[in-house]
Amino acid sequence: MQDPVPDSGTHAQHVAAARQRRRRQTLLVVLCQLAMLAAFLGAWEVFTRIPWFAKNTIFDPFFISRPSMIVERIAMWMVPGKNSLWPHLWETLSATFLGLFAGATSGFVIGLALAQNKFLARVLSPFIVMLNSMPRIAFVPLITMIFGLGIASKVVTSWFVVFFLLFFNTYKGSLSVERELVEFCSTLGGNARQILWRVRIPYAAAWTFAALPNAVSFALVGVVLSEFVGSNTGMGYVMILALAALNATEMFAAITVLSFVGLILVYLVRIVERSVLHWSPEFREDA
Amino acid sequence: MSLDAPQGQVARTSAEAAPILEARGIGKVYHTRDAETWAIGDITASFAKGEFVSIVGPSGCGKSTFLHMIAGFTKATRGQIVLGGGISGRGKLGYIFQKDTVLPWYTVRQNVSLGPSFIGKPAKETSARVDELLEMAHLRAFAGSYPHQLSGGMRRRVALLMGLANDPELLLLDEPFSALDTHTKTHLHRELLEIWRKLGQTVIMVTHDLDEAVTLSDRVIVLSSRPSSILLDERIDIPHPRDVFTVRQTEMFTRHFTRIWSVLGQQFRKPE
Repeated sequence: MQDPVPDSGTHAQHVAAARQRRRRQTLLVVLCQLAMLAAFLGAWEVFTRIPWFAKNTIFDPFFISRPSMIVERIAMWMVPGKNSLWPHLWETLSATFLGLFAGATSGFVIGLALAQNKFLARVLSPFIVMLNSMPRIAFVPLITMIFGLGIASKVVTSWFVVFFLLFFNTYKGSLSVERELVEFCSTLGGNARQILWRVRIPYAAAWTFAALPNAVSFALVGVVLSEFVGSNTGMGYVMILALAALNATEMFAAITVLSFVGLILVYLVRIVERSVLHWSPEFREDA
Repeated sequence: MSLDAPQGQVARTSAEAAPILEARGIGKVYHTRDAETWAIGDITASFAKGEFVSIVGPSGCGKSTFLHMIAGFTKATRGQIVLGGGISGRGKLGYIFQKDTVLPWYTVRQNVSLGPSFIGKPAKETSARVDELLEMAHLRAFAGSYPHQLSGGMRRRVALLMGLANDPELLLLDEPFSALDTHTKTHLHRELLEIWRKLGQTVIMVTHDLDEAVTLSDRVIVLSSRPSSILLDERIDIPHPRDVFTVRQTEMFTRHFTRIWSVLGQQFRKPE
């Protein structure tokens, strides 16, 4: 601070230089990521084309397909018509959204309600712990039996998977509201209802949102799982058909599409989270 | 009216006879599994309208508990707290915690307006009042900012304004500045005194900082270690307005400080 370097330039120059350094580093990171991806896909593509590797190693296109074939398959799927993927993708996506919405709202409301009612929370606690520790996937065949091969069983499965995640987060979040904050607001004249809406709910919402990116992936997994078990549309159904035909290319193509879908969904949730929780210091840098 | 009474309090002198708050023989016991502990033995004190009173004492003497009882967060085991007529009902009492109680999801303006909106004051009335308060605490430029954008000292000021927005007659401060550095703390002392001189509330502050107590108060009450009782009730006759940056160097300050310390220091000697 005391001894400025004589020719250090102006403040504006420093800021510009710092920004340029940051930008250059970001560029380098992206370049490295692209290089890694290219190396991985390149090796996959090339080795599966060399007969010796295809015969003697895992680079057998029958089992692991080949990037160019996968891309070709996805391109074919995108064309509307008899072989189009769109109806399947749409089915999976809408089931995911419905399950996520149902799971998030019910988890939030019930988590909040139980946090307000200590007695009910104590009564229900062992059942909730039991339900949560049960392997929920084991319920999928039963859910399919009850709700049939349509969209209903998919929605119920993803709801079932998402609900507990959001319920526990909201419950814990609501309980962690500091006593002082509630007492302070009551000295300001707030009654229980006002404090619920203006203190407890925003506080709990931050915890609920923290669980949402995970919930999105869970919801998608739940739907695809339900489609594996029994359905006649959807991405999971496409993969089961590919299994029946021993078609690795179709499976990889479906996995690729699902990965992108998951990625986009998580990004969308992040955007919503950022706009709802704009006050949170977590997003300070992006403000 | 004595010379040391704060300016702006002239109209309140007639009320001096009837205290705004009286504590009569307050005692508080805590029960644990195999023992009962009297935190507060016997506190009897009265607080005049517009007075700034600080309570100091060794840790565990029940200073904060005493404030909690006034605010109604907890009940006294024995004795009685008598509040003046104006202080019953919602939002008639301000309580500032040591912990940060500013709501992060509201802007500064929304935070300060919280109390008035709780008690259903019309938004128009509130808005003008909030502007006035923000002006007073030099926070006008930050009205639209969110708490995470503010410094620790600014957040403290927002919390103080939140407590003042309902115009409470009684303001209870529970170690409000103990988490701040000396620089920020001294600035907040100055602002608190300015605001208090303008608004004229009765202030009761619990603190472990004797410097702070003497700088700000009209009276300093010293509690003994538990079961606590009042050891000293010292009137600080340093005239207002006080300059918080220089008052510590005055002879009067030293005299009060020394006299209180001679009592308080004895208490600190005892094992906790």
